[in-house]
Amino acid sequence: MQLAYYAITLAFFFFLYSILNWGLNLQFGRTGILNFAYIAFVAVGAYITGVLSLGKPIAGTGESYILGMTLPFPLPLIAGGLAASFLGLFIGLIAFRRLRSDYLAIVMISVSIVLYDIITNYTPLFDGADGLNGAPEPFAGALNLNPNSFLYVFTAFTGLVAAAMWWVMSRITRSPFDRTLRAIRDDPDVVRGLGKNVFGYQMASLLVGSFFAGIGGGLLMEFVGAFNTSAWTSGETFVIFAALIIGGLGNNVGAIAGSLAVPVIFVELPKFLPQLGGNPALIPEIDNMIIGILLIATLWFRPQGLIPERKTRFDRLLGPARRPTAPPPGPAGRRPATTARSGVEASGVEASGD
Amino acid sequence: MTDSLGMTGAAPPEALSVSGLSKSFGGLQAVRDASFAVAAGQVCALIGPNGAGKSTAVSLISGALRADSGRVRLHGADITGWAPDRIARAGLIRTYQLSREFGRLTVLENLMVTPVGQAGESLWNVFARPRQVRAEERRHLERALDVLATFGLHDLRDSYARELSGGQKRLLELARSVMAEPRVLLLDEPMAGVNPALIDRIGEHILRLADGGVTVLMVEHNLGVVERICDHVIVLAMGATLATGSMADLRANPAVVRAYLGGALSDSASG
Repeated sequence: MQLAYYAITLAFFFFLYSILNWGLNLQFGRTGILNFAYIAFVAVGAYITGVLSLGKPIAGTGESYILGMTLPFPLPLIAGGLAASFLGLFIGLIAFRRLRSDYLAIVMISVSIVLYDIITNYTPLFDGADGLNGAPEPFAGALNLNPNSFLYVFTAFTGLVAAAMWWVMSRITRSPFDRTLRAIRDDPDVVRGLGKNVFGYQMASLLVGSFFAGIGGGLLMEFVGAFNTSAWTSGETFVIFAALIIGGLGNNVGAIAGSLAVPVIFVELPKFLPQLGGNPALIPEIDNMIIGILLIATLWFRPQGLIPERKTRFDRLLGPARRPTAPPPGPAGRRPATTARSGVEASGVEASGD
Repeated sequence: MTDSLGMTGAAPPEALSVSGLSKSFGGLQAVRDASFAVAAGQVCALIGPNGAGKSTAVSLISGALRADSGRVRLHGADITGWAPDRIARAGLIRTYQLSREFGRLTVLENLMVTPVGQAGESLWNVFARPRQVRAEERRHLERALDVLATFGLHDLRDSYARELSGGQKRLLELARSVMAEPRVLLLDEPMAGVNPALIDRIGEHILRLADGGVTVLMVEHNLGVVERICDHVIVLAMGATLATGSMADLRANPAVVRAYLGGALSDSASG
């Protein structure tokens, strides 16, 4: 019974972190946007989902938060995703106008800190450091669930959401849109010089990635029923970045591997371990050290990550009509049929007689 | 390849013209009151010693830098102060002094990414019109393979661009520009760091593009190449236009010879 509870909780976090990793992978892995505020987008998704599903704060309890609209289930979650995108819109409008990637990263860190301080200290917003508690459990009323069966149902639901988001994200990362994002990652100025609106693409990438963050945050809120500032310290952003880099930056499957390798095994799993030496902080600190070492080892020995970014090939798109084996003759016309790389090198030399 | 076109400024319309262009970086005036024009269909060279302001001029024309004063016209339209992407969409594509390929894209992708306004670049179309996106991808693919074949890069199509040699990167950059279907091509030292054999090949490609109706303005140091492939030459010195004309004109221009290009010019004249 206990073991099943552990397993289902880990499964939930596996799905959750996969969704979060896909969003960051689009932003950082494919577009090169160093979004060090990623966890703030998750938090906005969680808070908005919370205040939309909770009722009005009860007088006399000292709780205070905005809205309290008691919306029916899927709405708060979707609104959470959209709210995170809206934050992305706001930040992107300011940051992408002028800033290049490294400065943008600093802006993102600042945004994260400013938001954190505002939400912690301005209690009428999301009840400050205490955060939101007691969010209603989705499906619990309709399916007549107890707290235990709720975990199973909601984890299964999260799995479905993850599957849907996987489908959406793999469509995106196979598209010409994504190819332009990767060109921007390599050299935004050249992309601009080819006539493309780099700002628009960066913005689209930020918004879609933020939506994934917001949905992740909303799911976390619904699953746990509570969310406060201790859940989104800047260390959490680091965990997601580490997961992505270790799993394989630029690859959606790598993002899944990273979700399993880092947050599930080294953050969520150890929460079930008994305390060591009477110090409750000891195991988390050891986890952090291990993640740091894993990250360094990855960057040192396998910088492309467990499952590296895949190379795009077009052979299938052409179909059998025109297999790209026999190149059509160029104007030079007399270039011998060469194979592989050395062939072109050689042909450059052959042309010397011109 | 006669020299008369730019001198008379008569028959063919100007594809690109620059008037009174100036740019300072702090106390350094990189370009000062430069004026010149390139006739449509010409292959024109922009030459001058290091620090003459050639690359700055290229950046000013392409919109990468903002001019302090002066005007840039592209096929008659005033493009001064336009953003680089807007200038590119108007038909002016530039290359760079140091190759700037998309290293983590394959050679083929470097070309496939180039066409502007692809249906599949809109997320809406990716989900709502997948067939249209696929059909367009196939068209771009056919064309990209043709261009790659022309430039002798076909066998390298699935290599990452960062894996290419320096010369191959030069060819790729040119191929990528061709894929953009420019009306005016601005080449910043297209032959820098390239072996003599490849220089000839790149020269042929440039001439072929000009035959196809593309106007070319190229910054170049190699005067032998300039002599062979360029119709018209613009000399920049200290950021200002010193002289324009054919290489023959410039050789006959004592101001250019003595004050500025003396050694190199008389060498190629005597040789």
